[in-house]
Amino acid sequence: MKLNLTILSLVLVSVVSYGLYQLSYEVQKLEKDLGSLNENIVENKETIRILKAEWTYQNRPDVLQALAAKYLPLLLIAPYQVAGITDVPDQTIDGKLGDVPVPRHNPRRDYSEPEAIPAGPIQLATFSKSGSLQ
Amino acid sequence: MSEMTWLSKSTRPRIKMTTPFGPRNPENHLALLRLDGSAKETLEQGRNRLVMAGVIFAFCFVILAGRLIGLAISGDGNSERTASDTDMSRPSAYGDSMRAEIRDRNGILLATTLTTASLFAEPKNVIDPEELAAKLATVLDDMSEATILSKLASSKNFVWLKRNLTPTQQYEINALGIPGLYFRAEEKRFYPMGSLVSHVLGFADVDNHGIAGVEKYFEAQLSGSAETPAKEVNLSIDVRIQHALRDELSRHMSLFQAIGAAGMVLDVKTGEILGMVSLPDFDPNRPNDFSSDSKFNRNALGVYEMGSTFKTFTVAMALDTGVVGLQGGYDATEPIHKAGFRIRDDHPKKRWLSVPEIYMYSSNIGAAKMADDIGPKKHKAFLAKLGMLDKPSLEIPEIGAPILPPRWNSLETMTIAFGHGLSVSPLQLSAGIAAIVNGGAYINPTVIRRDEGHALIARQVISEKTSDTMRRLMRLVVEKGTGGKAEAAGYLVGGKTGTAEKVEGGRYKRDALIASFVSAFPMNDPRYVVFAMLDEPKGNTQTHGFRSAGWTAAPIVGRLVSRIGPILAVTPVDEESDAIQKAMFVPINSREKKLASF
Repeated sequence: MKLNLTILSLVLVSVVSYGLYQLSYEVQKLEKDLGSLNENIVENKETIRILKAEWTYQNRPDVLQALAAKYLPLLLIAPYQVAGITDVPDQTIDGKLGDVPVPRHNPRRDYSEPEAIPAGPIQLATFSKSGSLQ
Repeated sequence: MSEMTWLSKSTRPRIKMTTPFGPRNPENHLALLRLDGSAKETLEQGRNRLVMAGVIFAFCFVILAGRLIGLAISGDGNSERTASDTDMSRPSAYGDSMRAEIRDRNGILLATTLTTASLFAEPKNVIDPEELAAKLATVLDDMSEATILSKLASSKNFVWLKRNLTPTQQYEINALGIPGLYFRAEEKRFYPMGSLVSHVLGFADVDNHGIAGVEKYFEAQLSGSAETPAKEVNLSIDVRIQHALRDELSRHMSLFQAIGAAGMVLDVKTGEILGMVSLPDFDPNRPNDFSSDSKFNRNALGVYEMGSTFKTFTVAMALDTGVVGLQGGYDATEPIHKAGFRIRDDHPKKRWLSVPEIYMYSSNIGAAKMADDIGPKKHKAFLAKLGMLDKPSLEIPEIGAPILPPRWNSLETMTIAFGHGLSVSPLQLSAGIAAIVNGGAYINPTVIRRDEGHALIARQVISEKTSDTMRRLMRLVVEKGTGGKAEAAGYLVGGKTGTAEKVEGGRYKRDALIASFVSAFPMNDPRYVVFAMLDEPKGNTQTHGFRSAGWTAAPIVGRLVSRIGPILAVTPVDEESDAIQKAMFVPINSREKKLASF
């Protein structure tokens, strides 16, 4: 009986201490993770701040003006180019097909399925007449 | 310990054990020890010492056990944990301790604080200075090999090589992999817009303390304190307007070879300043590279005799007090001679002029007579109401006080009527004009965004009727008078030219002018006041050698308004339409049969 009790308590002590240490290690690991996550957040925030400053720097009005002058065919807006929504004339569609504008050329009409690659051993790539790679 | 060593010595007391009834007597075996007198005493002492030592050891072990339990419960208690605790209570921990940002009215970044790496070296740990310098010079373009070498040659333990590197530079230096080089994180104030908003923003010194402009005025709010976190500042400036203004001003400044220029765009209904440019300006990222002249804010700190733009106030005052009606007028045939001064017209008509004519042809004689009729006292009181006589208040520290004449009598009133003898800043003038055109309410200008619902403090200075007449008169100046070059198709610009000779050492300099144009648009319902000024413009062939405001400053406003009108969502109108013609009609009542051309 006495022996049993001793063994039982020994087992209990070892189990509890094992559990306790396991828990302690786990907490330590989680804390380490949390620390590194926080560090990451700080780092990311810092990066975002720098990127925002960079974005603003790249979007300076004089830079945009120079780029627009170079690439866009835009001039100052003349007064006649400004209109309100009420200035747009009403257009009634009476449902006849002829009145609905359709594109004169439908690109899909001329579309044909590309020729299937013939089954068989490896083929050398050649250019077909239509320009696609076969 | 001493007890133990003492016990182990050979001179320890001898213990004699005697058993009077023999060893086998079980009844008396507890009280068997019998010691000799001196030996017993010594033993007692030794036992006491043992107990003492035991107690001390036990105490130490209890402390150790307690510490162990404490550690098991609270972890290792290092700094990481405390840092994460504060992070949880305040989610935006990063940047809170930093100087806050400054943004424009649309939230575009104007000033921010960045953590930058600064490069330093420990010369003692550098193995091969020549190699280091050669490699480093490839990354740092603005430093030569020789300068790096000379820095490394110093006998100090610590040498700054370059402060505030860009992230790319830091990466490249890391990639070089040279021992003896180290980084230190530093905070640096960064202004992405460069010199665009320089005078309003001001700048901060190396320790990130604002020493000019908004940076200084809002130092407490931007840097924050232990109790209050740093809070960002939203300016009323719109960078698009600011850019257009700076662009036009610098173009015309070089066109007319002026030594300086200033311009403002002011919202007449809220008093917000949308654009404020003073040229030459500086880059707040490196303020030390610029002269003090470029840091001088001509808009707020500079005070000038504004010239004819002041006639706006004279006419408004005359109409508001009822001294003269729109139909009335004054004889401007002869120059006025008073107290040794001669007041003459720059655009002489040599006839009787009605009030609209006095304004549109900018007659000094007419304006002087008009002010004289009102009298110095009322004149002074009226200008004081418009904020012309006090130092204005604006959220920047660089504010100039107006220069008043030493005494204010009839002669001073006559000269101030056409803008000479009283020096005010462009800021004061623009705020005054805003009050004249917006229905007569003076609103204090601001560089801070006023959101919808902000309680405006407005002070009525002239009646709404007078304000309406003044709008028509200002429009007349652009339509038929001296300010024709300020016309922007569709935006109904109205304004007044002002050409004044600069005062230097108490004398007027004939060859140095201040040409200014103050305007508002659209004149049927004014929303913005636009001010433009050139310091010492020179005429060119395009202006036929003229350098007066109508030729130099007015075109700036014309071009600027057609640029910023669409941005500010001002709907263009047809000037020829009946409604507009009627709204802008003003009876000129000229006594000349035919309108003289200007």
